[in-house]
Amino acid sequence: MDDEWRAICDKFTNAQNLTDVESRKDPDNDPFRSKYKARELLREIYCSLKNFEEPPVDGQREDVFGQGFSGDSPAGLRAAKLGAVEYYLGVNHVDTEELSAGQEHLMNCMKLLERCRVSSENVSLFIHVRNQLGILWAGRDETETAQGFLETAESIYQRYMKEDGSPPTDMTEYFTTEEKLLTHQERTKRFELAYTHTMYYLAQVYKNLGETERAATYCHSTLQRQLQLNQFSPMEWALNAATLSQYYITKGRYMEGRHCLAAATVISGLAGEVPSEAAAQESETECERREQLRQKRAEIARCWIKYGLNLLQDAKKLLEDNIGELDSDRQEELKRARRREEEEEEKGRKSALLFGSEDTFDSIASLEEKVPCLLPLDFTEARAVFLVGQTYVTQAKEYFQMDGYVTDHIEILQDHSSMFRGLAFFEEDLERRCKMHKRRVDMLEPVCNDLNSQYYLMIRRQMMFELAETYNEMMDLKLTLANRQADTESLDNHTIKKFNSLCSASAKYFQMFLDSLCSPEGKSPEHLEEEVLRPALVARFRVARLHSQLISSVPTMQLDNLNRSLENYKYVVEYCDAHPEAVAAVETELELSREMAGLLPLKINRLKARMAENN
Amino acid sequence: SSQLAPSSDSNSIKVFVRVRPLTQGSGLTTDGDQNLCLTVTSPNTIRLLSKPEPRTFTYDHVADMDTSQDSVFSSVAKNIVESCVNGYNGTIFAYGQTGSGKTFTMLGPSELDNFTDELRGVIPRSFEYIFFLINREVERSGQSKSFLCKCSFIEIYNEQIYDLLDTASASLFLRENIKKGLFVEGAVEKFVNSAAEAYMVLSTGWRNRRVASTSMNRESSRSHAVFTMTLESKESINEVVNIRMSQLNLVDLAGSERQKDTHTEGSRLKEASSINRSLMCLGQVIMALVDVSNGKNRHICYRDSKLTFLLRDSLGGNAKTYIIANVHPGSKCFGETLSTLHFAQRAKLIKNKAIINEDTQGNVK
Repeated sequence: MDDEWRAICDKFTNAQNLTDVESRKDPDNDPFRSKYKARELLREIYCSLKNFEEPPVDGQREDVFGQGFSGDSPAGLRAAKLGAVEYYLGVNHVDTEELSAGQEHLMNCMKLLERCRVSSENVSLFIHVRNQLGILWAGRDETETAQGFLETAESIYQRYMKEDGSPPTDMTEYFTTEEKLLTHQERTKRFELAYTHTMYYLAQVYKNLGETERAATYCHSTLQRQLQLNQFSPMEWALNAATLSQYYITKGRYMEGRHCLAAATVISGLAGEVPSEAAAQESETECERREQLRQKRAEIARCWIKYGLNLLQDAKKLLEDNIGELDSDRQEELKRARRREEEEEEKGRKSALLFGSEDTFDSIASLEEKVPCLLPLDFTEARAVFLVGQTYVTQAKEYFQMDGYVTDHIEILQDHSSMFRGLAFFEEDLERRCKMHKRRVDMLEPVCNDLNSQYYLMIRRQMMFELAETYNEMMDLKLTLANRQADTESLDNHTIKKFNSLCSASAKYFQMFLDSLCSPEGKSPEHLEEEVLRPALVARFRVARLHSQLISSVPTMQLDNLNRSLENYKYVVEYCDAHPEAVAAVETELELSREMAGLLPLKINRLKARMAENN
Repeated sequence: SSQLAPSSDSNSIKVFVRVRPLTQGSGLTTDGDQNLCLTVTSPNTIRLLSKPEPRTFTYDHVADMDTSQDSVFSSVAKNIVESCVNGYNGTIFAYGQTGSGKTFTMLGPSELDNFTDELRGVIPRSFEYIFFLINREVERSGQSKSFLCKCSFIEIYNEQIYDLLDTASASLFLRENIKKGLFVEGAVEKFVNSAAEAYMVLSTGWRNRRVASTSMNRESSRSHAVFTMTLESKESINEVVNIRMSQLNLVDLAGSERQKDTHTEGSRLKEASSINRSLMCLGQVIMALVDVSNGKNRHICYRDSKLTFLLRDSLGGNAKTYIIANVHPGSKCFGETLSTLHFAQRAKLIKNKAIINEDTQGNVK
C-alpha cells in the first residue's frame, strides 16, 4: 500500500512537471506531446485510486455546506482525490483543444464533490473546478452558464472564509508525501490566488453581460488583490489600472479616474528604468525591454491626456450658455456650491476606491494631490488641468512619433487640439483666444494635407471637419473684435482680407470633407450613412453660411457667393424632404436653411437688378 | 481625382458561412460521427440544434455541404476582386475551427499544384480573375493604362511577424507611414505578371507555414497567414497621370478553437497562451467596435494584436470585407460551431465609422 501510494505520488509529480515545465519545450509541430504524456499518467493514477476500496457511506447529500461526507472523512478524502484527478484530466483536455472531453472530466469532478461538505480539505478544489468550467463555457459564449459556476465559486469562498478560514489544503497536496506538505502561508497564498482568478473571470463575465458597473468593481478587486498578494507584473498591472481609469472617466467619476492613473504611474515605476539607447543596441533583451517600457509608459500618458481633456470638456459643457459662451451666473453658482461641498468634506473624507500596498500607498496619494480632480470653473483652474494634460502630450509624443506611428501620433495631436479648445473657452481675452485656435490649426493643417487619403480616410475626415470648425471659430472671433471697434460697413481692408481668408479656409475644409464622401467619380451620395449624416448636412449648412458671409465689393463675386450659398441651403432642405428620417438630426440647421432658401432668392434678385441698373 | 471613398453598400462586413461535408477515413477524431448539429434552412439561414431550443442564425449567405468552389468564389470574392481592380482595398478572411475546411475553401485540396483543378479554392480563382480583369482593362484603355502587381506573404505566430517568402529573416515590425499607410517593414515583395506567377509565390510561402498535429486534427495551422497583393494602376489621360493603389488581403486565420486563451492568465501556460493572442484580440476589437460608447474620449492601453492592427482598414475601415466562416456539421463540434457562428454574427455588426468631433452649438447664430 505504502509503495503503491508512493508510486502514485511520483506519477502525479511527473504529470505536473510534464504539464507545467516540459510542455513549454514541445516542438511546434507536436505542441501537446508532454500534455498527452501527462494525460496518460493521470489516467493511470485514476485507475489506481479507483481500485482502492470504497469506504462505507453514511449520510445523504444536500447543499455543499450542509450534509454529505465531511471533507476529512475517508470517503470525503477519496472523493476529493478522485475529483482532483478528474479536474487535472479536464484541464489537460481543455489545454489540448478537446473541450467536450475536458468538460466531461470537470463535470465528473463536480459530481464527486457534490457528495462532500465544503471543508479546508476540499474547498480549493471546489473553487478551481468552477473556475475552469467558467472559462470553458465563457469560451463558448455561453456566458450565463459561466456566470453560474463562477458566482458559486465566489459564494463558496466567502462562506468558507466566514465559517472556517483556516489555510486550506492545496490540491497538489493530495498526492504528496507527508514531508512535502505546504506551509500555511503558501496554502493561503495559493488559495487566495485561485479566488483572485475567480474575481478576474467574473469581471470578464459581467463585462460580456453588459453589467459594466459590476465588471468595473470586480476589475478593481482583482487589481487590489494582486497588489496585496504581491502577484503582479508592474507594467501589466499599471496598464490595467490605467485602462480602468478610462472607465471612470467616461462615467464622469474623476476622483476614481485620477486614483487609478496615479496608481498606474506609481506601479509602472516599479518596472525600473528605461534602458538607454546604447544599452539597447548592445543586447536584444535590453532593446525589447526599452521598447516595452517606453511604449507602455506612453500609453499611460495617453490615459492621463484623456483625463485632462474630459475634465475640460465636461466643465465647458456645464458652464456654457446657449451660444457656447461662458455663463458667468452659472459659474458663480457652481463656485458657491463647491465651497459648500468642501466644507462638508472636511467633516467626513469622501470614500473613494483605494489602491495600494503598504509600500506604495503614500506615493500614490502624493501623486494624486498634484492633479486636480474637480471640474475647473475658471481660466486659472482650466489652465492647471490643461498643463497637466500638455505635459503628458509631450511624453506620449516622444514614443508615438509620426514616422512609424501615424495613427497614434495624430490622435495625440487631436487631443492636444481639443484641450486647447477647452482652454480657449475659459479665456476672456478674444485676441488670446484666437491665438489658441491658431495653435490648433498649426498642429493639424500640415498633417491633414500630407496624409494619404486612401489609407487614412477616416482620420482625414475628422481633421478636415475640425480645421473647418476652427477657422470658423477664428473668423467669428475676428468679426466680434472688429465689430467692437467699428460697424461692418466700415471695416478696414486689412480686417476684411483677414476675415475673408478665414472664411474661405473654413469653407474649403468643409468642402473637402464633403468631397471625401463622394464616389470615385465625384458624385455625392444619394443616401448619407448614419455616421456621416449630421456632419455632412452641417457641413453643407456651414458652407452656405460662409459663402453668404464673405465680404466682397465686386457685384459678380457677390452674386457667385450668394448662389453658392443658396445651392447649399437648398441641398439641406431637399435632402431632408427626400429623407424625412434625417430631420431629427439637424432640426435647427434645417429650420434656418428653409428660411434662408426663401430669403436668399430675393436678395439675389435685388443684387441682379442693381447690377443691371449699373450696366 | 485619386480620392476614394467607400460606396454606401461597402460599409458593413459581409459574412458567408460554409458547412463542410462529413469526413470518412481521414484520421480525424470527428470521423464516424454521423450526428449533425446543424441544418442549412435557407440560402442565408442556418439552424443549430442546440438545447433546449434550436437556434437560427442569419448571414449574407449560407452554403451547404454541396456548394461548389466556384459558387463560393462567385459569392464572396468576385465583387471584391472587381473593386480592387477599381482602386478599393479588399479583404477576405477565412475563420473557423481547425478541420472545418478553411484551407480547402481558400486554397483547395492540399498538395495541389495543378491550379486548373475544379477543386481549387478562392485564392487561385481570385488570381485568375484579377489578371483577367487587368488584361481587359489594359486592352480597353488602348494601353494608356498599366498595372503593377506585387505580392507579399507574412505569417503572424505568437504575436511575431515572419516573412514566409524569406524564412531566413528575423521577425518583422509593423510601421505606419503618412504616405504609404500601414506596412510590414522589410517584408519581401515579389512582382508578378500572371496568375500562375502569383500562385507560385503563394505556394512557396504556404509550405513555410507553421503547422502542427494534434489528436483533434491531423493538421492545424498555428499561425495567421496574410497574403497581400498590391495593385498599382497608372493611367495617362492628356498628360495627366492618374495613379491608384489598392490592396487585396487574403487571410487564413489560425484555428478558432484556441480562443480559450482569452481567459488563461499567469505564467502557467505562457507559451501556449500567447499562440493565439491575435485571435483573442480580434474578438475584443470587434466587441469594442460594436460597443456604443457614450461619446466620451477614451484611450485603451492595449495595442491591437498584430493581426487586427494590420487589418484595421478591413475591420470597420475603408475597405470591402468578406468573412468566410467555416463550420463542421458534426455534433462533436457543437461548441466550436456555436462559437464560430457567434463570432460571425458579431462581425456583421461592424460598421465603417467616421466619428466627427463636431461642435453642436456655438456657431449657429
